[in-house]
Amino acid sequence: MGKATVSYGRNLIGAAFLFLAACATQPGEISDPLEVPNRFMFAINQTVDLLVVRPVTVTYRDWVPAPVQRALTNFLNNLGEPVTAINEVAQGEPERAAKTVGRFLVNSTAGLLGLFDVATDMGLAPTKEDFGQTLGVWANSPEDGGPYLVLPLLGPSNVRDAVGLLVDNLIDPFSIAGRRLNVEYLLWARAVMTGIDARTRTLQALDDIEKNSLDFYAAVRSAYTQRRASMIRTKGDPAKATTAEIDAATKVALVR
Amino acid sequence: MVRATIDSAAVTTSYRAPIPSQFGSKLPAMKSSLARRPLGLRVIAIIGLLLMSAAPARAQDAGAFIDGVARQVLDMLRQGVSDSQREATLRSVLRTNFDLPSMGRAALGNYWSKTTPDQQKRYLAAIESAEVRAYSDRLRQYGGQSLKVVRQTPGPGGATLVDSQIVQPGGQQVVRLVWEVRKEGGRFLVTDVSIEGVSMVLTRRSDFNAYISRNGGNVEPLIAELERRAGK
Repeated sequence: MGKATVSYGRNLIGAAFLFLAACATQPGEISDPLEVPNRFMFAINQTVDLLVVRPVTVTYRDWVPAPVQRALTNFLNNLGEPVTAINEVAQGEPERAAKTVGRFLVNSTAGLLGLFDVATDMGLAPTKEDFGQTLGVWANSPEDGGPYLVLPLLGPSNVRDAVGLLVDNLIDPFSIAGRRLNVEYLLWARAVMTGIDARTRTLQALDDIEKNSLDFYAAVRSAYTQRRASMIRTKGDPAKATTAEIDAATKVALVR
Repeated sequence: MVRATIDSAAVTTSYRAPIPSQFGSKLPAMKSSLARRPLGLRVIAIIGLLLMSAAPARAQDAGAFIDGVARQVLDMLRQGVSDSQREATLRSVLRTNFDLPSMGRAALGNYWSKTTPDQQKRYLAAIESAEVRAYSDRLRQYGGQSLKVVRQTPGPGGATLVDSQIVQPGGQQVVRLVWEVRKEGGRFLVTDVSIEGVSMVLTRRSDFNAYISRNGGNVEPLIAELERRAGK
């Protein structure tokens, strides 16, 4: 399946697809050897979401004043900056790491412990990198994160990103300090708020996927894998987006 | 940084002049609470109006095409149409500007060859209704978002990737949207849309393939289910 085959006209896409499908391993397919337990966990998560997470999130979104929500988002993001900086160093991006450290210092002081994102106004745009992305940056294919996993409460993941979560937790200065000082309850509070904050941002997208899919589990699995691959490719820099995505898009074209 | 590039580039294009750049803020925000809602698929793609094209020649044409589609949809939304009117307009917009048969074929993947011509016909009809319904749903709660074309780059197989952003009226969050556009018989057609890196066609294909293999590798249950949903 050399790239020379890409130069067909659009009319030939169907025919090309038939040919390529015969010799290519389906790029759209994601390694999911644990599909049965994953689907089981997915169902449990859906129930917990319906009964607890979603109602709490919707209440939070609709009743807490917008400036308060923004301040909380900023605060949580600020707590995440050290992990992002470490990962940026690990990704070979020292300049971006320096910017992230700068953001952290500015926002923690002038931004009143991170409640206000004054760094963005100063031209230091936020970035977010986790160890799963770092592993992906150094791996051959951002699409391949190892076997797909559905984690309890946390939802879609894969071996790469689950390892990443663990490592991020181990290297996070705030988590380390929290455990040393025996104030684990603060870490739990932070985790809960992070979860609610993140859920407000996925409400619409997930509702849309659920409504427009026949197999919600499979659609989420695909969307999650693509999203993570895109984040790894662009390294959080939207300016790199299109060109970096051409590679991915080429793969798409190959299967058509 | 991106914005600065766009603004300087926009001076050289002819698209800026006819479109009031603050148009988005004049649009009726249907419910104020909606305007501050986090972004998702609902504020998708075609809610666009502002095009600032940065690349020359072929690519610029593709950007203008996306701008045209976006404006057509936006004009409709501004008039405040009924559900059925919106659906009818979107059906014609999708039919003329999206290559739905090619998207449908791609979404079926391997299984396309295993379906009879009759099944293919029914499938394509059902998928068209599904798309129309999906877009119509997303645009029901329009909150004054605008679409800004950032740039165009050559894509695979002669396609052009039109990079755009959905901008919220508040201006805080931005959703990245890439349109895969191909020229067919002298006119442009959209062959895929990616939202924050998630391709609609790829996601559909995973979804459909899973559904088919869970139904013993038969395409018929998928078509029947799509038809059932289209008929609702």
